Amino acid sequence: MEIFQGLINGFSIALTPINILFAFLGAVFGTAVGVLPGLGPAATIALLLPTIYVISSPVTAIILMAGIFYGSMYGGSTTSILLNLPGEAASVVTCIDGYKMAQKGRAGAALGIAAIGSFVAGTIGIVGMTLFAPVIATFALSFGPPEKFSLAVVGLLLAVTLSGSSIVKGLVMMALGLLLASVGLDPISGKTRLAFGVIELQSGFDFVTLAMGVFGLGEIFSGLESSIKSEAMSTKIGKVWPTMKDWVESRMAILRGTIVGFFVGVIPGGGAVISSLVSYAMEKKLAKRPEEFGQGAIQGVAGPESANNAASSSSFIPLLTLGIPGNASIAMIFAALLIKGVTPGPFLIQEHPDVFWGVIASMYVGNVMLLILNLPLVGVWAQLLRVPFGIMAPVIILFTAIGSYSIQSQAFDIYSLVGFGLFGYLLRRLKFEPGPMVLAFVLGPMVEGSMRQSLLMSGGTFSIFLTRPISLALIGLFAVLAIGQFAVMLRKKTSTTS
Amino acid sequence: MKRLFALMVAAFFVFAALPVASMAQDAYPAKPITAVVPMAAGGSSDLLARAVEKFWTKYSKQPLVVVNKPGGGGVVGTEGVVRSKPDGYTLYLGYGSGHDVVMPSLQKMPYDPLKDLIAVARLSIHSVVIVTGANSPFNSVKDIIAWSKKEGKPVTTAVSVKAGAVDIALTAFGKAAGVNIVTVPFQGGAEATTALAGGHLMIGGGHPSEIIPHIKAGRFKALAVVTPERDATLPNVPTLKEEGINVYTWGSIKGLAAPAGTPKEVVGYLEGTVKKICDDPEFKTTMNNLFQPIMYQGSEDFAKFMKQATADYAKLIKDLDIKIE
Repeated sequence: MEIFQGLINGFSIALTPINILFAFLGAVFGTAVGVLPGLGPAATIALLLPTIYVISSPVTAIILMAGIFYGSMYGGSTTSILLNLPGEAASVVTCIDGYKMAQKGRAGAALGIAAIGSFVAGTIGIVGMTLFAPVIATFALSFGPPEKFSLAVVGLLLAVTLSGSSIVKGLVMMALGLLLASVGLDPISGKTRLAFGVIELQSGFDFVTLAMGVFGLGEIFSGLESSIKSEAMSTKIGKVWPTMKDWVESRMAILRGTIVGFFVGVIPGGGAVISSLVSYAMEKKLAKRPEEFGQGAIQGVAGPESANNAASSSSFIPLLTLGIPGNASIAMIFAALLIKGVTPGPFLIQEHPDVFWGVIASMYVGNVMLLILNLPLVGVWAQLLRVPFGIMAPVIILFTAIGSYSIQSQAFDIYSLVGFGLFGYLLRRLKFEPGPMVLAFVLGPMVEGSMRQSLLMSGGTFSIFLTRPISLALIGLFAVLAIGQFAVMLRKKTSTTS
Repeated sequence: MKRLFALMVAAFFVFAALPVASMAQDAYPAKPITAVVPMAAGGSSDLLARAVEKFWTKYSKQPLVVVNKPGGGGVVGTEGVVRSKPDGYTLYLGYGSGHDVVMPSLQKMPYDPLKDLIAVARLSIHSVVIVTGANSPFNSVKDIIAWSKKEGKPVTTAVSVKAGAVDIALTAFGKAAGVNIVTVPFQGGAEATTALAGGHLMIGGGHPSEIIPHIKAGRFKALAVVTPERDATLPNVPTLKEEGINVYTWGSIKGLAAPAGTPKEVVGYLEGTVKKICDDPEFKTTMNNLFQPIMYQGSEDFAKFMKQATADYAKLIKDLDIKIE
């Protein structure tokens, strides 16, 4: 039982006082970073890179950084649920039902289920990682450009169906999102597109700025219409903890979300976002009362939140077993390991068993810490909704402005933030859902880039998407989903006309 | 409890936003020096900068503060330095990257990378290496050429970005060897090497820091280096010239620069500090860990070198007829 021996060895490293302290610090930083809008885990880890010169042991340094990464996934749900402010792409889906729940006075239940779901998913994810890391890693590598294209197209379709009421409106928002995503450098030719000579637009719009604008600021601007007086954001706080009924309704969603997140999250680039979308769509299909989705269904929070946390665990697999960083935060951890003279890859387990098993063991420890840290905070966060709108709104505007400025240190991002805020307000007036737009913005570069890469590989023939088994299966799934959606639309139409 | 937390959060932001107080009347440097890295955090330029940042305080009484200003392929951050006050407190770390030596031959620049910046010192050159998967039938660049000529098929090649140092090096190789190289650009080196590791393309190119972990893992074979000399981090890999293909590029150069008009004595001070850092054995170890060999050059030599590298790239781009469209 090599694995158990390794794990026991790992715990003996992870449970030394210094490593417990750094796992705790990582969890605290991570939660804070997740809660503060704009400041993402990648930026925080980058800021902390110089400190790892001071920390002598590479294990301790990585424990700190890994803690920040998965801690921020926990914290990310908080602002999504309370303030409709998604800090990262994977939280956009959480906003849909999470924020509705908060408005209905069920913020505590949403936050509670998110924390518990995150803990369960994170822990199962690590168990999966402990047992199956090498197998999963090979699966991740099999996703080349054609497979990524087909996966991203399925993601886009799911994003459109998020709009709930009208598929046409969803398609319009998707098109807008794709258009916004095409501003900046063309991913293949390197030519600047749609920048109109503005140098700041050469690098395109930033996700955080867009999401905070259309969601958070849009919400505040439309709030200005109704509650200028010093009313609270929500008068009801409701029960802080999820009820027995909530728990029964969401336990399967948590499990399913975990499985989806674990497998989809391992795919480098965009895995976490798509896993949260898949989980949401799946829960909506399986729910007894699908009409509740979009109106504050607890499964709509439990599933996607579990998925993105399981994804954050499994995204460590390509790093630790192959030396491949799958997203920006993991790339920072990769860099930190290099600085410490540890080269991540298949020989990591043999060459540096202390690093490999120490990090894995510390993730078990960190997840327990996050649960202990977050559960009492649920009550505190829920109280935030008592703060009058007149105080809360300017504070949110200030924080989002700092957040979007901090990404590239340029004032231009603050102007675009405000612009997107006004646009988000307009969307609310016209009853358009911003979700599909923001998600299409994230998936757009993946769809475009991987399609053009595939066509370069195939010499311009589209058959490349149908001759590779994984890609073919995904295209098949897309066709089934699209036809199903179309059938639902037709049925609705005939039932309303007759 | 609530109030205390809110206060703590507020205090955090006040401190984070507080500009560093400065009283700049003493001898240079009288306050912390800002080094702008116009690339994203975690990339090879950023890693080099973080290493310099750490060793800087050992040889200077004021710290060097690294600030990442990515965007526009590096143009945004660099232009910020060009337009800043030439007082030696705003520097550009990473001088010699693609947007300094390659981009001017491809598109209009908002500034002149040679005239608007003073070369302070060169730190390293990141060479470009041609690699293939460990299971590939190719064992040398000659195999690639032979296969392509026999089959008459294009060789699909993973590169980090279009018209970057790696893309140009591989395209130049194809042209010189008479091979139809189809470069497939990705979003950066990590993505390109991942796709190659998955066996989705035939060959690829990358900087040593991106490919050595894969070589160590037995997943890649290094076939040739595209710089004029062998790379110190890969001493067993031949250059293209040694393989009989008469073409080379300068890879990605990494140096320190200051805005034009910076006083001579300030440039001298900075040059001396970089020299001391490059001679530090501990810094050498760090740079070895990062797979970025130290290749120091002083201000005057580095300026000459930059002119030559820019001219070489311009000629190569003209000969290869590379355009961004």
